[in-house]
Amino acid sequence: MQNYKDLEKNIEKDFSSVSSLETLQEFRLSYLGKKGKISLLMKELSSLDADQRKENAEQLNILKGKILELIDTKDNELQELILNEKLETEKIDLTLNVESKQGTIHPITQVIDEVIEIFGDLDFFVAEGPEVETDYNNFTALNTSENHPARQMHDTFYVKTETDGMPNVLRTHTSPVQIRSMLEQQPPIRLIAPGKTFRCDNDQTHTPMFHQVEGLVIDEESNMSHLKGCLEIFLKSFFETSELKMRFRPSHFPFTEPSAEVDIAYTRKGNQLIIGDGKEWLEVLGCGMVHPNVLRNVDINPDQFQGYAFGMGIERLAMLKYGISDLRTFFDNDLRWNKHYGFQPLNTPSILRDLS
Amino acid sequence: MKFSFSWLKEHLDTHLNAIEISEKLTSIGLEVESFNDASLAFRDFIVAEVIEEKKHPNADKLKLCLVDTGKEKVDVVCGAPNVEKGMKVVYAPPGSIIPVNQMKLKVSKIRGVESQGMMCSEYELGISDEHDGIIRLDDSVKVGSSYAEISGMNDTFFEIGITPNRQDCLGVNGISRDLSASKSGNYLRKEFSKIDGSFDSPVDVKIEDQVMCPAFASRYIKNVKNCESPDWLKSKLKSIGLRPISALVDITNYVMYDQNRPLHVYDADKINKNIIVRSAKDKETLKALDEKEYALSKGMCVIADDMSPLGLGGIMGGESTGCSENTTNVLLESALFDPINTAKTGRKLSILSDARYRFERGIDPLSVIRGIDQASQLISEICGGEFSHTVVSGSIDDTKKSFEISVNKINKRLGLSIEKSEVIEILSSLGIECKEAGEKINCVIPTWRQDIDCEADISEEIIRIKGYDFIPQSNIRSSKKINESILNYRQKNLSKAKRYIASLGYNELVTYSFANSKDCNFFGNIDNLRIVNPISEDQDILRPSLIPNLLNAIKKNQSRDIENFEIFEAGSQYTSSTPGDQFNSVIGLKSGINKKKSWRHAEQQYDVYDIKNDIVNLIDYLIPNQKKITLDDESPEWMHPGRSASIILNKKIRLGYFGELHPRVIKSFKIKNKVNAFELFIDQMPESARKLNSKVDINLSEFQSVKRDFAFVVDQHIRALDLEESAKKVDKDLIRDVEIFDIFEDESLGPNKKSMAIKVTIQASDRTLKDNEIQDICSKIVKSIEKSTSGSVRS
Repeated sequence: MQNYKDLEKNIEKDFSSVSSLETLQEFRLSYLGKKGKISLLMKELSSLDADQRKENAEQLNILKGKILELIDTKDNELQELILNEKLETEKIDLTLNVESKQGTIHPITQVIDEVIEIFGDLDFFVAEGPEVETDYNNFTALNTSENHPARQMHDTFYVKTETDGMPNVLRTHTSPVQIRSMLEQQPPIRLIAPGKTFRCDNDQTHTPMFHQVEGLVIDEESNMSHLKGCLEIFLKSFFETSELKMRFRPSHFPFTEPSAEVDIAYTRKGNQLIIGDGKEWLEVLGCGMVHPNVLRNVDINPDQFQGYAFGMGIERLAMLKYGISDLRTFFDNDLRWNKHYGFQPLNTPSILRDLS
Repeated sequence: MKFSFSWLKEHLDTHLNAIEISEKLTSIGLEVESFNDASLAFRDFIVAEVIEEKKHPNADKLKLCLVDTGKEKVDVVCGAPNVEKGMKVVYAPPGSIIPVNQMKLKVSKIRGVESQGMMCSEYELGISDEHDGIIRLDDSVKVGSSYAEISGMNDTFFEIGITPNRQDCLGVNGISRDLSASKSGNYLRKEFSKIDGSFDSPVDVKIEDQVMCPAFASRYIKNVKNCESPDWLKSKLKSIGLRPISALVDITNYVMYDQNRPLHVYDADKINKNIIVRSAKDKETLKALDEKEYALSKGMCVIADDMSPLGLGGIMGGESTGCSENTTNVLLESALFDPINTAKTGRKLSILSDARYRFERGIDPLSVIRGIDQASQLISEICGGEFSHTVVSGSIDDTKKSFEISVNKINKRLGLSIEKSEVIEILSSLGIECKEAGEKINCVIPTWRQDIDCEADISEEIIRIKGYDFIPQSNIRSSKKINESILNYRQKNLSKAKRYIASLGYNELVTYSFANSKDCNFFGNIDNLRIVNPISEDQDILRPSLIPNLLNAIKKNQSRDIENFEIFEAGSQYTSSTPGDQFNSVIGLKSGINKKKSWRHAEQQYDVYDIKNDIVNLIDYLIPNQKKITLDDESPEWMHPGRSASIILNKKIRLGYFGELHPRVIKSFKIKNKVNAFELFIDQMPESARKLNSKVDINLSEFQSVKRDFAFVVDQHIRALDLEESAKKVDKDLIRDVEIFDIFEDESLGPNKKSMAIKVTIQASDRTLKDNEIQDICSKIVKSIEKSTSGSVRS
């Protein structure tokens, strides 16, 4: 029994000199290895009688347990030390950067998607038509006869092909889509038609190609108050404001009667336009009740059906909403501009989440 | 259309101020485009007199003047050549703002001499381009009085946009009439004294074509003096931006703007006997008042004498019979011309004139006689002369249009419920005579409103005068859905494609739908894509491909020192200029450096494999299920023949191309780096009758997989696909994957040989494979590849 007291002292003494994982291993082997002191004493137990064996075994197991505990604690301690030293050496310079590539969606695509989202929610489907049009669809069917003064305001591009003896044109507005759609479909009709349009004009505020979105509703009862209601929802949703002062002004388009231009109120704050309220007015779109002659031209009975149409410029909407000051930059394709004004691809407009 | 408030008030007795009138004009559809209160702009300018004038001590061309402003005498340095002692001038004191440049005047030293303000030219005041000298005022004006008052500039000037339908508002008279309908005042109809003729006109007027020219009223006036116009007339014309010329010309211009009645005055001594209104003959020419020579053709309406055309009816007079200061006998014309023919002729000859503008929009037939009366009265007052009787050739059709309208239908159109009595009140105020017929009203339209033809037109008149603000806003959401879907399959694909490609790092560009024919030699036949009237030479055709525009974009950005590109465009390409001959294409380009050299890795350029990956992934995104994509060697002319391929869907549909652009194309666009491109014909994507949502079963084996590497020496032409397919066909169930992981060429391999290494993954779904099974598959793979490629395994 005395032996064990000494042994315990020796253990403590030997353990106190452990300072590394290697010496800890040596310590473990010197007691618990095959030829370790505890292991040898355990072997000797077999020569003792049962009572003594039991008593000694108990003592030895206590010692063994103690050694294991010491080793375990020390091991953790040493591992921790080593890890800390390692972490210290692994410190890196996080101010360095790596390259990442972010693609962009052009503002025209983004705004058209926003417009589609809003009108889609109001049950307008997206109609399309060709960019080269017949003179008939672009003008005549829209109540703009060959010598109508309004034609001169359109600066039309002509191509070399003809339809029914008249040269085809690059559509000057998206309105011919109205004609194509009404020829294809009977009322009720609810559609929008975004797309490219062309006019032979190139200066500070005009580009020979630009984008419009057309809207058309034909049924038995849609009237000017619906037109007003429709545009109010659209403009409020698009400009993401619950307050929007809107003004309808009489105007003239050959294919609508009555016709109106719509202004929205704004305030100027430095370079920024605050849309929705203020004393200044900005023209944003043209609209009106579809002219009975247009309905007759597509074999829709104007005594039974009526409805409204509207049209607006996509670039103008984009400029107002996103503070783009120069129309021509949309088609300059200066990549610095595209990266600045472009949109993140995941920024798909959504009625439920965010429009923009 | 420009006019001043004072001019308007000659026709309208109103209690409204200029701002209120401006708002009213816009609200009835006569949109005010600009509004200028000149009394504010000219507030500071006063009449002064030069009382001393001497040479500037330090400058030859400058003069030093002592000027009496009525309050004080000040020194003013002046450079005008016409300044002289005793002259009455327009004086701008220090602190005033010069209208032409909005500069605030300060006391300043000019060549060492202090100048207190300045004396102004018409140019500086912004009233004309005259800047050769300062304004010389009439001697009778009082020193110290306000310039705005004595010049008639104490006024407000409006400029309104007139929509093509409102021909009736192309004169101040008509604008006033419309304003009075909107309760802005009482319309004052001008009456003109009739000057009796004392003899028969010696010029006989014959109309050959009464469609072109239904009526031609004329009057011969003897012994007129074509003097300078009086100040009131000159300042009226100047106030609307017209240059006074001579009394006769100024009077016709005045009547045109006052009454919307174009007139013409011929120097009668230059007319060869009689006037014939007829169609022009081919090869006839006319030197018009704009000093240009026009080649006329059959169908154009000319006013001719016995010899030759004197003018283009309703468009422009000729130079030969124009009035000069020596003119003594004149023929005054007030006629009607056919709107369509006038428009056609004007367009053919590209002549824009005030007369054409009015005649092609339609003129009130009743203005023929009123116009000749008003002009006669003014000519008599200003130029004197003896007047012949007025002769009307042809006939003036003053029949008024009439039709029935239904108040209910008008309310249904407007979304309002206006009482019949109010409808009648509004229409009557516009000069429309109303007769009630039950629920309906019979409307008789005045001759000046050529634009009102039907019930819809009447509905606009009613709401225009009542005010668009009265229209309520109604809900348009309906419980019944009209459209099955908002976007069709093609539209969805295009939209998804754009955002997916952008997510791969590409920037979307939108380029013009035009292209330069010179850039398009590589893109097939372009003859049928030509634009007749292109905006510029380098945009002379419809684009046959998006490629040239995208390459030009690269070139342009290259000049801004941008050299690496990930760009795409999705849009239409044209196969001809027939409507519908267009299709959507999505083209992506990658060029330059993919990964820059950095502290982290070496530089890596974009190559064909990057672009292949993108288009394959894009197709996979758009058609996730049940498709097979293969390549074939066919590719467009504008691609590198050895580095491009077509993408074939399900063995049938050519969905697009990818590859490196042909070096010749790159060179012709002066682009520095290789350009890799893909094109996806997105409209070609097949739409299944039902969307295929369900995916094929997946077999997730829990048993151990084995990977084995092999290397083969094969001929140069052997492709990766050849090895892959050859390995896979050994056992389609057990061989899960074959991947090429190394390729190299070395002389030691022999001429035209290369080494290709593959990693094969072998796995069974029902058991762990035994060594001998694996061994067996491996040797079969070696045999299969050796046989199909005539190569040999490297040991």
